[in-house]
Order: sequence, then structure tokens, then C-alpha cells
Amino acid sequence: MDGLRELIRLGQYDQAWSCLLEAGKTVTDYTRYASLCRWHKRLREKAPRRELAKTVRIALLGGATTELLEAPLRLAVESLGLGCQIQRASYNLFVQEMLDADSATAEFKPDVAILLGTHANIPVWPAQGDTLERVDVLVEQTCDHWLGLCARFNEHTPCEIVLNNFHVLPTRPLGNLGVKTPWDANNFLRRVNLALGDRAPAYVHINDVEGLAARYGVRQWFDERYWYLAKQPVSFECLVPYVQNTARIIGALFGYTAKCLVLDLDNTLWGGVIGDDGLDGIAIGEGDGVGEAYKAFQEYLLKLKQRGILLAVCSKNEEENALKPFIELPEMVLKRDDFVCFKANWEPKPNNLREIAAELNIGVNSLVFVDDNPAEREIVRQWLPEVRVIELTDDPADYPGILDDAGCFEITTLSAEDLQRVAQYQRNAERKVLQSSIGDYDDYLRSLDQKAVIRPFEAKHLDRITQLINKSNQFNLTTLRLSRSQVEERMRNPDMLTLYVRLADRFGDNGLISVFCGERVDDELNIQLWLMSCRVLKRGVEQLVCNYVVDKARGLGVSRLHGAYLPTAKNGLVRDLYPALGFVAMSNRHDDGTHWSLDPARYSPFEVSIQLAEDY
Amino acid sequence: MDEATLWETLTRVFQDTFEDDEITIGPETTAADIEDWDSLTHIQLMVAIERAFKMRFNTGEVASLANVGELVALVIQRSP
Repeated sequence: MDGLRELIRLGQYDQAWSCLLEAGKTVTDYTRYASLCRWHKRLREKAPRRELAKTVRIALLGGATTELLEAPLRLAVESLGLGCQIQRASYNLFVQEMLDADSATAEFKPDVAILLGTHANIPVWPAQGDTLERVDVLVEQTCDHWLGLCARFNEHTPCEIVLNNFHVLPTRPLGNLGVKTPWDANNFLRRVNLALGDRAPAYVHINDVEGLAARYGVRQWFDERYWYLAKQPVSFECLVPYVQNTARIIGALFGYTAKCLVLDLDNTLWGGVIGDDGLDGIAIGEGDGVGEAYKAFQEYLLKLKQRGILLAVCSKNEEENALKPFIELPEMVLKRDDFVCFKANWEPKPNNLREIAAELNIGVNSLVFVDDNPAEREIVRQWLPEVRVIELTDDPADYPGILDDAGCFEITTLSAEDLQRVAQYQRNAERKVLQSSIGDYDDYLRSLDQKAVIRPFEAKHLDRITQLINKSNQFNLTTLRLSRSQVEERMRNPDMLTLYVRLADRFGDNGLISVFCGERVDDELNIQLWLMSCRVLKRGVEQLVCNYVVDKARGLGVSRLHGAYLPTAKNGLVRDLYPALGFVAMSNRHDDGTHWSLDPARYSPFEVSIQLAEDY
Repeated sequence: MDEATLWETLTRVFQDTFEDDEITIGPETTAADIEDWDSLTHIQLMVAIERAFKMRFNTGEVASLANVGELVALVIQRSP
């Protein structure tokens, strides 16, 4: 905190911002956070942040006091890399604000509405003695109340909605018997929470207050005094974890989520140093408490991998030594194949992290770094402040909980692609091997046996399309971010030419990898959005899409395609895409990027080694 | 904690809470003397004091403490 004060005093605002935003992710103590919020305010006045890729408009609605949540929420959201504008509705006016299409909240046109209900906003509780059937009816009615409110709001104000579920109450009037008694208040709340999760539509994201409160203990989570005095929904002890948890859902909605977890080996995945202690000397597996703790950490990491998080190794070791436990110790839960990159060498870790990001075609800010050695953490923090560095304790039993609390991998949907991602990256590695054994690149492409499906946006793919729109940074011409509702609007708009591409090859399915959207205005087609996953770079997909779009444009009587390249820190890759495809530079109508046009009549299609299919 | 340190800490808490490094307080200071001291900043102030002195006020105390002299007396009484 003193460091921050000093940086601001010296006028080193860029460093002050990066220091502040790092702290906004990691500090959980309320007093320190409140102080950070004050510095945040001052820094915004002195040196506003440069233009950010996305500023989220957040409406905060509550059946509790939300004033004291606003500043911490702003800091927590901005710490994830987003800009943030918050509009707060008055205490307990959320029903009116949401139903009325002309309310201040509706007129604010939020990207995200946070609906913070508490147990005090439950309309009807079960009566003593109610049967299970009656309680089930009440559960349905309670869900109808909340989800109906969301639906009505969404009708006139399409946006994503973050809806709190309910923590259990701090008392148990029926004692243990409550668990067997449907009309018991906590019994009822648990049923409501499950039903909310089951019934919430795609635009409603449940903020799992029940789970989070359980993590801290309801007595610590909820402070009756401040509820009675000021209707504070969460204790000050837990206020920061609450806003950080909420912010992470918002971050995830716009793709601000890490993708790859980079792990050290010695004393991180196992106890001891493999180079010194040898296979017999390291602690991993059953029979020894410390070994079990490391095994449990590996099991947690395996679960992350299975839900689509990429794992990589970055260890100061001889590679041969580093690989030994993976090959020779059956106790190792993680195997060499679970990692998409394996860097065991003596290079400084920041160099290895940069290489890992480059090999995987992801940004350095998509990396999370876990290392037991504080010196390594420090050098990564200093050299690569974009990398999220996890502060570990010296006890491996703490590792899974620490990583879990950091919440770096929050997601709002889980697509089939997520579940297959690791396999896809591994097949990419195989493709690279194939590539090196074949001389001519075109031969290589032909040997891949590629098949693509190109279709307009479809409801069943909206989640994946939205996800791709919000997380693609490199092959992305306009970096236009859209919420699911906005994507859906484009799907339904007859003046929009929308398409997605799925690609398969002899190694397997790459999934949905490219998205395009252009708006027809008179005889022009304005390209709003064109992006592609970097997994399939240099395969001919961009040429294929261009062929397809020009063909469609001709069919629609379009006489000119207009595309813009809007530069960001990350999309240098596509700076020259339009000229390479035969577009001609337009006189600079805007100063925000370069603008290009193409006459469909003068376009001759590119040859590509991809077969178009109806389906595969 | 001696009384001088107590006053120093308490002044710092006031300055932080009201975001004003110029604020000075004395035993006679009340909510009427500080412009931004309203019901909401009162809660923030009480929480900040609880946390700075690692003590817990009861509900009635949080509600009624609007005078720095009383506050200091209570903090002294609760200090180990």
C-alpha cells in the first residue's frame, strides 16, 4: 500500500495502475481493500486508464444495501482488465426497476445486471407442517418470482443477469431434523438454490452465494448486526471475496478468464527435488501425509485439465530428470500427456512463460503461474505483470484451496470444445510433427484431409460463438465484444450475414473455430466482426471464409464489401489480412484503424485445401 | 495501547474513512462536525474502528456512538 502511495506521489501512474490492479485481484482483507478503493478513485482522477477493449455497464440491483459494494466491485472488475461503469438502484427497488421498461436501470442499458436478493426477499416461506408436495410448489413459485423478474427485464433490456442464490441461515430451529423436514427454512433454501440452477436460462448466471458462504462459514459470512443496522448483505470480513467472485462472473462473460496453468515441479507437484533426491526421495502418493497432499493437488489439477484448462510445466531442471517421475512413478496422478507444454531447462522462467504462450497461440495474460519458490514468483511478477501469479503457502495441503479461491478459471458456459480442448492442442503438436516430416506446405495441407462446415449463426452454437467473440484476441479484426443476447439479435436480423466455421481434419475435430458477421446496408456489406481461433492458423480457413462471403455477397446483390482493421495490443497478426485477400485500401475515413474495400465482381476465389461439407 | 497511540490510530481511521487527510478529532467531535458523517459512513467508520482496534461493538453501540469522546472511552474499556 505504501508502494502504491509512493508511485502516485512520484507521478509513475502506469506502474501505480498495474500495482493497484494486481492488488485488486489478490487482496481480500476489507480494510486494505477499502484503502485500495480510495487510491483507485484518486488514480482515476489523476490519470484515467487508457482506452480499454471493453467497458462493461453494470446495473447493481438489490434487496439489500449496495452502496458499500460499489467501489470494491468497480476495483474488482477493473482488476480483470475491463473498464467498468456502475449504476446502482436504490435499496429494495429492484422489482419496480426491473419491471418498468422506462426505469433508470433500463435506460442505463446495462451489459450486465447484478440482482442481489437475500433471504429477506423470499416472497413466501413454507408454513410449519407443509408437505413435500406443497414445499415443491413453493420452490417453483420462488424460482418463478426471480427468473420471471429476469425474463421481464430481459424482454425490454437485453443483457446478461447475475443472480444471487441464497446462503443458509445461521440458525437451525429444528436442529439436525431440519434436513429431513421439507418445510424447514434451510431445507427450503437449498431446494430453491438447486431449482434456480436447474431452471436459469442462458442469460442468467447464478452467483453461488450458498457455496461461497459455506466456504467461509455462514456465521462469518453474515453479520446480523450490520444487517439490522444497515441491511448489509454480507459481513465486511467476506465483502471482498463476494465482490471478487461477482466480478469474475462478469469477467468470464467477456472472456477475461485464464486459459493455461503453468506449474513448477519440485515442491509444487511433488515434495523434494528430483535432481537431488531421486525417484525414491520425492514425496508423492499414499502412505505419507505430505505425499498425499501433493497427490491431492495433482488430482485437483487433473480436474481442471478435464474441464478444458491447459496445463504446462515450467521447471528449472534437466529435462531427463524432470520427466522421470511421470514415466516411472505410478503414484503420479498427472502424466506427461496431460501437459500441452513441458519446459524443463535453466532459462529464466519469464522466457519460458513467453514461449509457452507463443506455442499455444494465447496471450501471456491467459497464463496462471504456480511455483513454490517465492523468488521465481517475484521475477515473473516483475517481468511479466500480465501473468497471474498465485501466492502459495509452504504447505502443499493448502495448494488446491488457494488455487481454487483465486478463481482464475471462471466460466459461464462449458462447451463441448472446452471438454475436448486438451486433445485438440495435443493433436496440434502431432500436426506440427507431421509438418516437419513433409517438405511442401501445400502437400501438408492436402495431407490433413480438411473438412469444413460453414453455416449462419444457430441457436445451438450461440454459447460457443459468444465465447469465441469474447476471448479471441489475435486473429480478430475489430475485437468487437458482444454479449450472448447481442449475438442472438444478430442471428435474427435479416440484414446480417452471419456465419460460423467448424473444421475437422484427419486428426480429429477442431470444433467451431471462426466467426464472421457483416451488416448489409443498401448495396454494401460492412464487416463488423471477423475472428478465428489461432489453433487453425495457416490452414486456409480465412481464404475459405472470404470465398464464401464474397459468393454470398454476390447473391445478395452487394457491390462492395467494407472491412476495417482496428489495431489492439494483440491483433498485429491480421494487420495485413485484407490486402492479402485482395481488398483495396480506402482513403482514411477514420483515424481508428485501416479501412478496406472489395468489389465482389473483381474477386477470384482462392484455392484452398478444405472440402466444404454439409456436416461431418 | 497508550492513549496517544490510540488517538493517532483513531485520527488515521477518520482520515481514511472520510478521505480527508486534514481531519482532526477531539473528545468533543460529533457527527455534526464532519460533513460526510452520515448513516452510511457511520457504518464504515464503526467497521474501520472495529478492525483497527480488533474489537467488536454490539448492535446498540454501533447505532448510538456518534461522539468521539464516548468512542474513545469504549475503546479504552475494551482494550486488554
